[in-house]
Parts: sequence; structure tokens; C-alpha cells
Amino acid sequence: MTAPVLAARGITKTYRLGRQDIPVLRGVDLDVGEGEMVALLGASGAGKSTLLHVLGLLDPPTAGDVLFDGRPVHGLPIAERAQLRHAHTGFVFQFYHLIPELTALQNVMLAGMMTTSWLSWWKDRRAAKARAIAMLEHVGLADRMRHRPAELSGGERQRVAIARALLVGPKVILADEPTGNLDSKTAASVIELMFSLQAERRIAFLLVTHDESLASRCHRVVRMRDGVVVHG
Amino acid sequence: MTPGALVRIASRIRELATQRAYGPFLATRYLLTRPINLLGMLGVTLSVWALVVVVSLFSGVIVVIEEHVHAASADVSIGSLPAGTSWSKLHDAIADDPNVRGQAPRLVHFGMLNRPGVRPPPPILPGRGALHGGDQPFLFVLGVEPAAEANVTGFADWLRDPAIPADLRVADPDDPLRTIDSTATVLVGFERMKRDGLKRGDEVVLTSGRVYQAADGNKTLEQIPMTMRVAGAYKSMHGGFDGNNVFVDRATLNRALFADDPDTIQEVAVRLRDDAKLWETADRLQRTVARITDRGDGRAYGSVQTWRQKNATFLASIEHQRALLKIVLIVIMVVAAFLMLATLSMMVTEKTSDIGILTAMGGTPIGVMQIFLSCGLVITGLGIVTGIGTGCLTAVHLEEVRQFVLWTTGVDLFPLDVYNLDRVPSSIDPWWLLQVAGMALGTGFLVSALPAFRAARHDPLVSLRSS
Ligand SMILES: Nc1ncnc2c1ncn2[C@@H]1O[C@H](COP(=O)(O)OP(=O)(O)OP(=O)(O)O)[C@@H](O)[C@H]1O
Ligand SMILES: [Mg+2]
Repeated sequence: MTAPVLAARGITKTYRLGRQDIPVLRGVDLDVGEGEMVALLGASGAGKSTLLHVLGLLDPPTAGDVLFDGRPVHGLPIAERAQLRHAHTGFVFQFYHLIPELTALQNVMLAGMMTTSWLSWWKDRRAAKARAIAMLEHVGLADRMRHRPAELSGGERQRVAIARALLVGPKVILADEPTGNLDSKTAASVIELMFSLQAERRIAFLLVTHDESLASRCHRVVRMRDGVVVHG
Repeated sequence: MTPGALVRIASRIRELATQRAYGPFLATRYLLTRPINLLGMLGVTLSVWALVVVVSLFSGVIVVIEEHVHAASADVSIGSLPAGTSWSKLHDAIADDPNVRGQAPRLVHFGMLNRPGVRPPPPILPGRGALHGGDQPFLFVLGVEPAAEANVTGFADWLRDPAIPADLRVADPDDPLRTIDSTATVLVGFERMKRDGLKRGDEVVLTSGRVYQAADGNKTLEQIPMTMRVAGAYKSMHGGFDGNNVFVDRATLNRALFADDPDTIQEVAVRLRDDAKLWETADRLQRTVARITDRGDGRAYGSVQTWRQKNATFLASIEHQRALLKIVLIVIMVVAAFLMLATLSMMVTEKTSDIGILTAMGGTPIGVMQIFLSCGLVITGLGIVTGIGTGCLTAVHLEEVRQFVLWTTGVDLFPLDVYNLDRVPSSIDPWWLLQVAGMALGTGFLVSALPAFRAARHDPLVSLRSS
């Protein structure tokens, strides 16, 4: 069996507020296999977002290890971590986090600019643009490319965000309540999109949600309470 | 510094040079969607423009003033000649120099000019003295031979200046110091003549003096009044010279001052063939003069001064004014810098919300810093280019600008007659342009670095957690 694309080993995370230590994660172990769709459930404040940030190399753990394809990554230098964040994982957030000055197409293209120098990007710009267009077409936004985020609906924005996360072909997508801000019908279509991507491209998903019925459709459900996984 | 630190710094520099594509891309998008940044750019443009235009104008004025000062002075003056210097020997030695075109002997003394029975007018407004002279009664009295003088300066032309009206003009420009009614004559600067209300032929008293040492060793100042008639006006380009000097016939002055030595020489004015060899010729003449005036007493006589040395204080004073002007103008650049700092800080505050997602996609603090640094440098760069462009254009067409302002508002920004000019001078110095660009770039870098650094230190999780 191959190593899980993403794994947590004894992750603890403690925030310090003044003199007070706030333990948010207290020893989390988690494996996400290749192409696996994992739902992460838990009450508000359980530490789901924090875990996602630690797994995505945005926040260093207080103790424990994060493994990408079986390789511990948190001790790596800053540039290498940035490169891994770029190539290995994609993020989708509840509030989309699109850049308001850019069109849908530019927002997606931006993902391809994060680790190449401007010179090599410029040489390859036509292909880069074509890739971004293809990705937007894939998520069903062929006729929304030149729209700014403010001119898009919530569902369309989340599709742009998904296209952006997919552009560089990550192995795992960390999605933090991707439908939390959408009505149920739009949410359903966004979820369908993610399931079809998972099936087509064998991308793993770690999906934070409060929606039990959505969770039940995933390959596996992980529940968190007070900073520990209670049911794997 | 340890080798490790050097390697780290080198890799930082390399990282800056091989900037990630998102830096320039986002910088352009951020700038294009924020016209407020034009304000910072305009500030830079304005300060660069002002530094280019005003300094070019002033440099032009300096060039003109130097020309005028040079025109009023001989290329080289040989002074401090000891009593009893043989004029013929000195003349021949100087004439032997390959770079000497002409020379003229002079007596240089002091005096005061007044009309009998007429009180001198009060001094004119203070402050114009440096450029125009003539606001004090004290004068240099130059004893000259007009024919020789015409070989070393523009003396012959000064008498024929069209600005001098007929009743102030010398009767015969070829023999300007000819006696009038058997009285010796004096040539007075045009402006002084006008101010004192003098006309050709007026009787004046030129009072000079001489230190007289009595047998007991006491020194007294002996007054030497000379009654003369005004020969007419002269007008060189340098008002400061005209106001402070009068010309009389050398033989006349010699008789009045040094009756016992009929062939006294106090100064030799020299005209050179090649002005580019000014300094080496002056050095050579200095040796020649030292040789001729050597009396075997171990002391050196005779001092050779170039026209620049002779007017050093005056030339340094306008140079100094230009330096002050630069400092004042740099204040505009400081204001522009604050303007840029304000708009860039605003932008960074607004755009911290993007830092979270950029980091999540693979951005680094240095990359984030580069975005905002690029913004600042683009603003500065555009400001410099437009500032230098418009500045040079304005500097070249200053005369047209003056005429336009004169025509539309009636205000003459630069009265040409003050400097005896027919168009506004300007001189663009490429080295100064480079300095201005460098200064602006440095300032721009500094004020962009501050907000950019703040952006780099912003915690991406704060942006990600906020909606
Ligand atoms: N920077 C911080 N400093 C201190 N405490 C923090 C910080 N960030 C998060 N926390 C705390 O960590 C806990 C877990 O937060 P987290 O956002 O991971 O919860 P969550 O499970 O995602 O909740 P929700 O479902 O509401 O999004 C919360 O109690 C929160 O107050
Ligand atoms: Mg959360």
C-alpha cells in the first residue's frame, strides 16, 4: 500500500493568549489516502479549521508531524514549504477569498504564478492562460471568465475558487466549509462538482462540514471534539 | 559577518531578482484599480520636474554670469608687482609665452567720485550690490591705455553699447580718454552715471589717496584730489564691474600718484589664445613673473590670478545659492514621499485580506513584500520618467514659457534686462538629472519598503479566519 497523501501524527496546537495556554488540538492522528474523500465533522470551536491550517502548512503545530506522501514536512525551510503548499495541496474556503481586483480568469491564472519566476511565466503565458480557461470551463463557468468576483453569485465564486485550487493539480484539497455560505441548491451543485472531480482526477478531499447528509456520502467520516478525533 | 549570513543575504538578493510572477502581476492590477496612486506619482513628477527646471534655469544663469564676469575681466591678471618693475622687460617675457595673445599695463588704485557742490545720492536698495555694484561711493580707479586695453577685454565694445544714449556716450571711441578742455577725463560705468545724473563733460572730483610715511615713521593718509571731466559711459555685461570701476588715463594717474616714478606698473592684464589652457598658462606666467621680478632677496613678487580666482568669492556665492536652492527644492520631494507613503499604506491596509489566500497558494512573506515594493517602485519610476521628461522639455522652452506667462498674466517671471539677456538661460546637466533620479528612486524605495515590510509581517491566518 502506498503512503497516505496527507497524514497527521500526534498533532497538538496550543495558542497562547497572554499568560493563558489554549490547547486547540490535543494529539490528532489522521490519514487521507490517495483520491479519498474524507469528511471532517465537529462542533464549532472543535479545532477543525485549525487542523486544516496545520495540515496545509499555514500554521506550525506545537508538536507532532505532518506527512505529505509519508514525508515529514513541517521542519522544511520556508521556501520549500511554500512550494509544497503550492503543488501538493489546494485550499477552498467558506468565504472564497477571491481577489476582488481580478477577473475570474485572472484569479485562476494567479495560482499558476505563485512559484514560477515572472520571466518563465511570461514565456509560457499562452499555455498558462489556456489551462486556466480549460479549468474554468470544467467547473461550468465558460461564460463568466471576465467577471469580477463582485459580479458573480456565491456559487459561481466558489466554483472559481475550486478551479483555482485545481489549476496546479494538487493531490489533496483542503476545503473548510465550502458550502457554508451557500443556499442548499447551490451547495448541492458545488458538492456534485467536487464529487465528479474526485472521481475523474482522483484528487483527495478533506472536507470540513456541518452537513451530516453530505458527510455520509463521503468515503469516510472523521469527528472531532475538543481537539481530538473521537471517531475515525 | 559570518559566511552563512553572506550566503543568506545572497540568496535573498537572488530571490528578489528572480521575482515570482504574481508580484508584478498583482502590483499592476492593484495600481490600475487605484487611481489614488496617481497622486503619489504626480508628487514624484512634480518634485523631479521642479528640481530639473529650477536647477537648470539657475545653472543657465550661472553660465551667463560667468560669461559676463569673464568678459569684464582679463583672462589672467598679474598683480602685486614690486615698485621699480621694468615694464619693458616684463612685457617681453610675457609676450614670449606661446598662449598669450595680448597684454595691457594697468595702475590699480582706489578713490571716490563726486561732483563739486552736489551731494551724493543715498545708496540704492541694499542687496543688489553683488550683481550690479555701485551702491557704495568707493571705487577702483584703473589707470589704463585704451588701445592696449582693447586687446585684453571687450573694452572697445563697452564704449559703443547701443544702450548708452548719445549724451552719455564718449565723443571718440577710438580715443576715449582724450582730454576735454585740457582737463583729464574719466570713464564711468553706465548705471552709475545714470544714477548720479552725470553727463559727458561734467566736472567731477576723483579723490584718491596715498599713505605717506614721515621721517619719524608715522604714517598719514595723504588725500589726492583730481579734478576731471566725464569722458562718457562704458557698459560691460557685468554690472558689478561697471558699478565699482572707473577708467582714467594711465599716465595721468601715474603723475598724480607716483610723480617720482613715471613708469609704474601695478597690474598686467593678459588675454590668452586658448582659454582651455587657462590654468597651465597661469602657472607658466607665474614662473615667468617670479623670474623677472626676482631681486635676490629670497622673496617672491608678483601674483598671477586667473579670472576665476579674481572673482572667486562672487562666483562661489552664486554657486552657493544654487546649493541652497537644491536643498529647498528637495523639501518638495520629502512632501511627495509622504504622499506616497500615505497612499501605499492605505493600499496595504486594504489588501492585507489577500495575504491569507496568497500564502495558502504558495506565496511567501518576501513574495508579498515584493508586490507592494513593486507598486512603490512603479509609481516612483513613472514619476521620475515623466518628471525628467517634462522637466527637460520645460527647461529647453523656458523662454516660451516666460512669454506665455507674460502674455496671459502680464507677469514677467524673469526680467531679461537684469542679466543683459535676450532669452531665459538654462543649462541641463545630465549628471544632475542622474542625481535627481537617484534621489527620487532612493526615497521611493524607502517609502515603499515601510508598508511592504508591514505587509510581509502580516499573519496570513488573520486574513483567512476573517470573512
Ligand atoms: N489565534 C488564536 N489564538 C487563540 N485562540 C485561537 C486562535 N485561533 C483559533 N483559536 C481558538 O481555537 C479554537 C478552534 O478554532 P477553529 O477555528 O479551529 O474551530 P472550528 O472547529 O473551525 O470552528 P467553526 O466550526 O466555528 O469554524 C477556538 O476555540 C478558537 O477560539
Ligand atoms: Mg472553522
